Amino acid sequence: MLLFGKKKKESKSVRQQATSAQNETTYFGRNLQIKGRVSGNGNLVILGTLNGEFRLKGRLKIAQPAKIKGDVNADVISVKGSVHGSLTAHDLVHLDQTARIEGRINTPKLSIMEGAIFDGEINMGVQATKPEKATGSDTGLSSQDTASSAEKSTPS
Amino acid sequence: MGKDNAADSTSLLSKNVKIEGEIQGPENLHVEGYIKGSIKLSGDIFVCNTGIVEADVEAKNIVIQGEVTGNVLARQQLEIHPSGKLIGDCSAASIDIKEGAVFEGRSIMIKSSGSSAGSSASGNIPASAASKQHQQSTVR
Repeated sequence: MLLFGKKKKESKSVRQQATSAQNETTYFGRNLQIKGRVSGNGNLVILGTLNGEFRLKGRLKIAQPAKIKGDVNADVISVKGSVHGSLTAHDLVHLDQTARIEGRINTPKLSIMEGAIFDGEINMGVQATKPEKATGSDTGLSSQDTASSAEKSTPS
Repeated sequence: MGKDNAADSTSLLSKNVKIEGEIQGPENLHVEGYIKGSIKLSGDIFVCNTGIVEADVEAKNIVIQGEVTGNVLARQQLEIHPSGKLIGDCSAASIDIKEGAVFEGRSIMIKSSGSSAGSSASGNIPASAASKQHQQSTVR
């Protein structure tokens, strides 16, 4: 084979590569620091840090030590790490116990586990992909809904 | 060679994923997708068959089976496989270019002590030592 480490690590990483080739899961380890934009199709697991943007068609797992600063865009997002920025999911956002979010969440479906920390806003009614247009057309019909869900704390 | 593996975890960038930006850290990285920007790892990097890298790359060991465009610094070894293509200059302590591989650029040999040739020349290494490195350089 063409791998360097001539130890057990080798077989481990070979296996890892083989399995991920099937599922096409991208894996960013805990020591990897990325600055910039990550985009594409497929599933992705991140344990490291990202300063920038995710734009993914697929499932995104933000695992425990991961730290993300920037906007995150994916079909399904599950969070155990920390995110500073906005999360936009096409299908679902799940915040696990260790999740720590500061920012905005746009998603049609949401679940939050006890212990998760979330500072920010949630937007669920409107289509995540085109928020501005949708708000304009929706306000007439379901203004009550939007008002109650998104702007609880507005003093009048 | 694999004894003091600085990075114990291996990251994978799969086929349909693209990174535009800077990547760094003590990790090993397999690239099946596309990277544009810069890569600075203290571990190893594999550019697999489907991998395309348009970036300056710095790593301990570098294995190229795909395409790399940019300058490459391997603190230990640079390996270009028959399917591999490197367009850019390389600095490495040791090079292994297989038959069929494509390499367009200059090659500079460095000492495997781990000091990067360009950046540390102005620092601790005296001028005489720096010029010695150039004498050792091989062209193709």
